[in-house]
Amino acid sequence: MRPSWLSTVLGVAASAFLAVFFLLPLVVILGRSFHGAGALARVASNPFYWQRLGFTTGQALLSTVLTVALGLPGALLFARYAFFGKRVLNAAFTIPFVMPTVVAGIGFLALFGPRGLLGLDLRNTLWLVLLAHVFYNYAIVVRVVGGFLEGAAPRLLEAASTLGAGAWRATLRVSLPLAWPALLAAATLVFLFCFTSFGVILILAPTPRLATLEVEIYQLTAHLLELGQAAVLALAQLLVVSAVTLLYTRMQARLSLPLPARAEALPRPRGGARAVLGLNLVVAAALILTPLLALAFRALQGPGGRFPSLANLRIAAHPSAVIGFASLGLALRNSLLFATSSTVVALLIGFAFAYAVARGRWRVLDQISLLPLATSPITLGFGYLLAFPVLVAHPWGIPLAHALIAFPFVARSLLPALRGLDPAHGAAAATLGAGPWHTLWRVELPQLGPALLTAASFAFAVSMGEFGATLLLVRPEYATLPVAIYDRLGRPGAQHYGAAMALALVLMLVTGAVMTLLQRRGRSEF
Amino acid sequence: MSLRLEELRKHYGTTRAVDGVSLELGERETLALLGPSGCGKSTLLRLAAGLEAPDGGRVTLNGADITALPPQRRRFGMVFQDYALFPHLDVARNIAFGLVELGWAREEQRRRVEELLELVGLSGLERRRVQQLSGGQQQRVALARALAPRPEVLLLDEPLSNLDQTLREALKEELHGLLSSLPVRAVYVTHDQSEAFAIARRVAIMRAGRITQAGTREDVLERPRSGWLARFLGHRNLFAGGDLAVVPTAPRGDTVLLRADLTSLLPAGAAAAAGAAEGAAVTRARVRRARREGLRWRLELDLPEWKLELAWEGYARELAEPPGEGAELLLRVPADAWLALEEP
Repeated sequence: MRPSWLSTVLGVAASAFLAVFFLLPLVVILGRSFHGAGALARVASNPFYWQRLGFTTGQALLSTVLTVALGLPGALLFARYAFFGKRVLNAAFTIPFVMPTVVAGIGFLALFGPRGLLGLDLRNTLWLVLLAHVFYNYAIVVRVVGGFLEGAAPRLLEAASTLGAGAWRATLRVSLPLAWPALLAAATLVFLFCFTSFGVILILAPTPRLATLEVEIYQLTAHLLELGQAAVLALAQLLVVSAVTLLYTRMQARLSLPLPARAEALPRPRGGARAVLGLNLVVAAALILTPLLALAFRALQGPGGRFPSLANLRIAAHPSAVIGFASLGLALRNSLLFATSSTVVALLIGFAFAYAVARGRWRVLDQISLLPLATSPITLGFGYLLAFPVLVAHPWGIPLAHALIAFPFVARSLLPALRGLDPAHGAAAATLGAGPWHTLWRVELPQLGPALLTAASFAFAVSMGEFGATLLLVRPEYATLPVAIYDRLGRPGAQHYGAAMALALVLMLVTGAVMTLLQRRGRSEF
Repeated sequence: MSLRLEELRKHYGTTRAVDGVSLELGERETLALLGPSGCGKSTLLRLAAGLEAPDGGRVTLNGADITALPPQRRRFGMVFQDYALFPHLDVARNIAFGLVELGWAREEQRRRVEELLELVGLSGLERRRVQQLSGGQQQRVALARALAPRPEVLLLDEPLSNLDQTLREALKEELHGLLSSLPVRAVYVTHDQSEAFAIARRVAIMRAGRITQAGTREDVLERPRSGWLARFLGHRNLFAGGDLAVVPTAPRGDTVLLRADLTSLLPAGAAAAAGAAEGAAVTRARVRRARREGLRWRLELDLPEWKLELAWEGYARELAEPPGEGAELLLRVPADAWLALEEP
């Protein structure tokens, strides 16, 4: 079909937005790192920074290996069998993915922290960081690899079995070779998330020994005001991340190995497979649910260990006299405000983008849609501060940054839905006299409802939980829930600890409620 | 020495997909399992392959009960409707898949693959990716892959249904030749009767989870047991016994089939005696509607003497001029064109 004027307009709008609010800040960082008082040389000659780069890479690799080792069996079994409760579990697996980092961090703190339920203080150890990273990314492996295999594998596995290959042999000779590109893609994504890990580290392992580059950039910017060195580190991180992203995009292309996708009825597991599946599910469920339950328990535990008690919530809600402490009400109001406005922005930009790519000649845009996903929030926030100095006094940088961070999720939810629309509908509308605008309004948008809801819920969750960029751009009166939680956590005393737990519980419930309300029916493509 | 399915049953929820089916397949025999979609024929095939566990009944091979044996230990080859070729393997590796499981030496594998590629006419395509093959080629690779480990039984699940008409015709002939030349017994599932009768000498007709009739193809074609089967095979002239009271040569029965393909049309002036030899009846026929389909005619006839309407198809060679609407003709009905059916 010929591209319509509408796709051109929307393509230009989306490009302009991305250029100003995504590329420009990065370019400013680039400029900053090459001029000034030899920041580049100072960073390059400091072994401490090389050590940080090594640690950041090492922990990300380790996290990735662990996540894949745990997630792969789950993915294979998920793709292969039907079992009771599969749909509920599938939904449960997305919980960590949409739960704010701060909530997960606090959850693990409630289990393994100084006042942890298990009486085992793992704070400031690599173990706790790895555990949290696995919690976060397990779902990615299961969803990406499992989803990829589920479309085609059942029939191929049957074919393998009639050719003499039992369950293990078929896994080895069919499932694994087929899943290989999907597995690599998932691992790359996991690596990226762990490489730029920020909230988890800041909450669970605030020791300099375990600081990632992302944490280091934050410290240099917010506490040491060494903007030049921060820019160099941000650039280094950007280079690694871009290289890995490029690799991921390549693999995405290979993912489109033409598998015959058809919905097959899956068999129920028997014998040994049943035991393995059961064990895997129990471990996964424990990993996902225990931190959240521990958090809820701690938040509702009053002085002297009474349970349930609203004491912590009351402390959190009390408007504090101390500067820098946002009360529950204020933080919740700020969070909802930012989340709503950034969802609107993300939907507008994401839709303009998806429409331009799906309907017009904007293939280039398609290539860069994943970049914001890979660009770390700290880098983005830092870039905003450098590019738009006015943001020091104004809060609008926060929803913009949130919208950009949510953009890949929105775009990847809307794009397949738009592509899936029958082009004959557009043609039919055109022959009935509707221009592109009317076609969009009367034919296409009504069919995109579920995808728009999915996109909106993703954007909302991202904004509710966003921590890094907010921390850099925030002023006390605009503190969001994650920032308020972090503030409380930083003060000594059981009172503040309890209030942080209570705030985290509220954040968890609000995010969960929004995700449940905006039911996810569509499927996004990562 | 045979494959026997005994009283096999399989239900999904309240649907009885296979409802007590027994079949036997001898050495080197090809059986076609024919039925409309949703009749349970594919499920029956999957039960035979071991891909589904039956709710009741047994599968025996050469006298041994293999009902509980998983598919990988049955040595049944299967050709899937969508071929299910492994997209990560090339043609040769697809064909050798089962040989690897059997632990064949590399050199033997290579020879067997070569042999099979020659058999299915794809020599030289060993290293081709399966996605680059045409539908017909993929179908041949799937067949070669199933045959490679010399299976006890070859099961084919609608193997031609994804191909276009011309290709289907050609491959039908080829498959028939191949299956009758190879020392393998085969079950061929299809909903297309021309396929079933072209490929197998024995045909079993399945309806709603049961076998309604099984026998040689001549048996099934010429002596359908039920009205449903007669209609399924394309017969259109079925009468209730009561309607045939005035027809002198018609047999008694509740459901009677008149095989119009055995009748012939004569010009009105033909000597009645010429047509009426050997127990045949001749009656007046008026053409109500006439439609040409290529060389053949499709006619709707009124038979005023017998008070019947008849759908008639054929070349009408005996007529001097085309049978226009309203034309008065004679219809010659031999005695064996009438068939009293056992079931409606």
